Amino acid sequence: MDRRRVTVVAAAVGVVAGATGLGVLAMPAGAGPAPVLPDVSAEALVESVLNAKPAAFGGSVAVNNDLGIPALAGVPQLSDGASTVRMWSDGTGKVRVQLPGGDSERTFVDDGQTAWLWDSAAQTVVKKPHGSFEEHQPGLGDQQAAPTDPVTVSRQVVAAIQQYSDVTVDGTARVANRPAYELVLTPKPTEKTVLREVRIAVDSELRVPLRMAVLTNGTDAPAVQVGFSELNVGPQDASLFAFAPPAGAKVTEPDVEEPTADDKAAAEKALTEAKPQVIGEGWDVVVAARTPQEALADLAERQEQRAERGPQRGEGGDVDVAGLLKQLGKPVSGTWGSGTLITTRVGGVLVADDGRVVAGAVPEQVLLDAIGQVK
Amino acid sequence: MTTSTSARVGSAASAAGSTPVFAARTRGLRKVYGRTVAVDRVDLDVPEGAVLGMLGPNGSGKTTTIRMLLGLVRPTEGEVELLGKALPDGVAQALPHVGALVEGPGFHPFLTGRENLRRAAAFEPLLASGDIRQAVEDALERVGLAAAAHRRYRGYSLGMKQRLGLASALLVPRRLIVLDEPTNGLDPAGTREVRKVIADLHEAGSTVVVSSHLLSEIEATCTHVAVLHRGTVVAQGELAELLHSDSSSLLIVTPDVDDALSALRAGRISARPFAEGVRVELIGTTAPVVLETLVHAGVAVHEARRHRTGLEDLFARLTEAEESEHSLSAVDTIEEGTR
Amino acid sequence: MTALVAARAPLGRQLRSELRWILRRPRTVIGLASLCLVPILAGVGLWFATDGDGPAGPGLAAIIAGNGLVLPVFTLFLALPLLLPLVGAIWAADGLAGEAQHGTLRGLLLSPVGRIRLLAIKSFGVAIMSLVAVTLIAVVGVITGVVLFGGEGMLTLSGSTLSFGEGLGRIALTIALVTVQVWGVAAIAMAISACTEHPLVVMAATMAGVIVFAVLGLFSALDWLHPYLITSAWEGMIDVMRDPLPTEQLWRGTVVAGCYVLIGLSLAAMRLATKDN
Repeated sequence: MDRRRVTVVAAAVGVVAGATGLGVLAMPAGAGPAPVLPDVSAEALVESVLNAKPAAFGGSVAVNNDLGIPALAGVPQLSDGASTVRMWSDGTGKVRVQLPGGDSERTFVDDGQTAWLWDSAAQTVVKKPHGSFEEHQPGLGDQQAAPTDPVTVSRQVVAAIQQYSDVTVDGTARVANRPAYELVLTPKPTEKTVLREVRIAVDSELRVPLRMAVLTNGTDAPAVQVGFSELNVGPQDASLFAFAPPAGAKVTEPDVEEPTADDKAAAEKALTEAKPQVIGEGWDVVVAARTPQEALADLAERQEQRAERGPQRGEGGDVDVAGLLKQLGKPVSGTWGSGTLITTRVGGVLVADDGRVVAGAVPEQVLLDAIGQVK
Repeated sequence: MTTSTSARVGSAASAAGSTPVFAARTRGLRKVYGRTVAVDRVDLDVPEGAVLGMLGPNGSGKTTTIRMLLGLVRPTEGEVELLGKALPDGVAQALPHVGALVEGPGFHPFLTGRENLRRAAAFEPLLASGDIRQAVEDALERVGLAAAAHRRYRGYSLGMKQRLGLASALLVPRRLIVLDEPTNGLDPAGTREVRKVIADLHEAGSTVVVSSHLLSEIEATCTHVAVLHRGTVVAQGELAELLHSDSSSLLIVTPDVDDALSALRAGRISARPFAEGVRVELIGTTAPVVLETLVHAGVAVHEARRHRTGLEDLFARLTEAEESEHSLSAVDTIEEGTR
Repeated sequence: MTALVAARAPLGRQLRSELRWILRRPRTVIGLASLCLVPILAGVGLWFATDGDGPAGPGLAAIIAGNGLVLPVFTLFLALPLLLPLVGAIWAADGLAGEAQHGTLRGLLLSPVGRIRLLAIKSFGVAIMSLVAVTLIAVVGVITGVVLFGGEGMLTLSGSTLSFGEGLGRIALTIALVTVQVWGVAAIAMAISACTEHPLVVMAATMAGVIVFAVLGLFSALDWLHPYLITSAWEGMIDVMRDPLPTEQLWRGTVVAGCYVLIGLSLAAMRLATKDN
């Protein structure tokens, strides 16, 4: 064969190989064939999850968010789209969680005595006693519960909603290259929730949740999916659970009760003063609260500052809270008064003009009914 | 590795076969660019040791033919044999022995003449790394650029550029040298030097192919000629043969023009007057017969000289004939004459 | 008549000649000198920005105070979206289109140099010069960074501090990763370069491509397309500044660039093999 033709053919093969390579890379990581595992009943599986001992592990959690909520600057794990959380645990309470942002990162380290929260964008470190961050994960808003730790959060979810749900085992799956059972929680037909089902992949060996997906009525793609993309079970490098504040960083040691420079603490304060109450049961649960106006304004202002990060700071002095809310939601009114309704694919939040707030994974009408009951 | 093996096999085969008489030859060469036929049915023979002049007006296909001869352009149809190797596969064997200057000299303006040659030399397969320095100096010397070698190519005159191109073709002793319009932009002295270089190469046994649209250049330096017109070879062969095949005439300088004419007509020899005498076409007669006739008639012959038809006439007739209706027969006549 | 044996000039000699030719080009020297200015300008700019209170800027700039080893990484990421692709495109443009423009490509082919070998030599020149350009930025960046900001170690985005040696290791890794990305762009530029005689066309087409890719990367409606775009891989490169080092995106980006190199060089080979000169 003529050498030129050989060259052309070889080059064509090269082009095809390169394009194929790109195509393979573009494909989502192949789940592989479903592993064959011994049968297990749903009840036994749920029980083993609840009784599983915390293990030392390190891994990456992929968060796929399709909630339809507005982007929160600086925390991609909460915004629509895909993001990653990296976490390590030694199984005895020492934890390291990293939230990589576009070009920044927040790192949370709890070394057993002290908990540290580092924010690279602000070059700040928040120092707190051990355990004080536990109720609310660092950097995560509290009202929009997009869990990032499948181990703890899914376990709570399983326990809480078992009685209002049909619990079944729907085959097996491979998550983070580990065999897992697919546990499916379906709301009982009497429930009024907008959620269709919650799927939880449970590690066949460790019986810890590896992946959780929330599916809503009307779509096949999960509204939220949180799952390990990489998981190494076993002792982790001890240096991961140590943290020394970098030289140039501003270290703050906030009093938990007091408002702090940190926006998360401001939200916390707002919630503390709001006396949250729970309306309804099961899937229909609606969390209600009365937010003091100034706390809301404080929170909004911080959001604003975050949104326009950069050298020119301090511009968000007076923020029109109502205006900000109206950008996100639509105005509603009724016998209870008037307010703004923000809906997402997994539920909604209704903020009344007088500061009352209700939120839940329920249709609009349920929220409107609930807000009347808020004291 | 595989290439060198196959090359050895190829060369062994050719060594075993008949020795090629031609340094280069093409058969049925055709090149079509889009809908334009640049070269068509070119059967070119370059005998070994010859200095072949390729003659043709601009756009006649000279350069395209040369580029196909050197494997730069792939023919649409036809075959090329270079130093006994069929192209394109034989390129690696043949080209090291071929020096070429195609479509003007190509060098980097920011390098000096010497650096440019060094770069060209680094890619010459036949040059050992240790010989590069000397080979470059020799080539510069040969084309008379030694004094300007340290200057940047950017500042060279057209003639100097042309010489550097020639130097690059002469870096290694070559068996075939292809020069496309080598005297382009050269002053008369430069042209003479190029002619001398060609003569030297010829004497050393190299085969030379020179293309030009300048007739005088070809006539002065070539042993063989190929005339191209509109993409085809309209005539080729030894220069002397081509010129002799054409009927020549005898010019007789005489004051008695009328007497001479009548004497010749009486002898059935065709003649016509010209400025100083008569011109006799040597068709069906020879010079001695003509002179004898005139002398017998008592015509005073001051001078008689044979008028050799120049290449210019030949060229003009070939290219004009091509345009007329009888083109084919005209070409045929000439080609018969050359065989 | 003696038998003709296929002969080739030694590859080492050809490669040396290629590098010497590139380095003798005035444009090369001027270009490399201007690249040295980038980290210096970036460093001085950030130095003034850190003067005030709080972080000097978003992203990596936020952690640069007292952390000079971040400057080379910062500068490389600053240069990656436009400047470095331009540099790669220039090398590639001069490599084939530039030689064709001067008529020297024909000379090389007549030497003869096999067309695939010629592509290999040219790719080598482009690859080495891209590495030189990236390394130069990094080296000047390290010096500028240490002088302006000091730094015994390297503070990562994750808040941990690496030793000076580890920091240099991260910089070396960044050099390697960024260089591979430049190769990806340069290989495509090489394919364009094989198709034209005008170096400016190569540069313009390459930069237009990079900009179009970057714009396509902004539309979330084109999510499915993003993994195919080399520019999309560049954002993930900042992972090099996280600790512990997450390798997934870095590998992915490198493999994407590798695919671009394969595609670009294959197209260039295809064009060179069939081209009339």
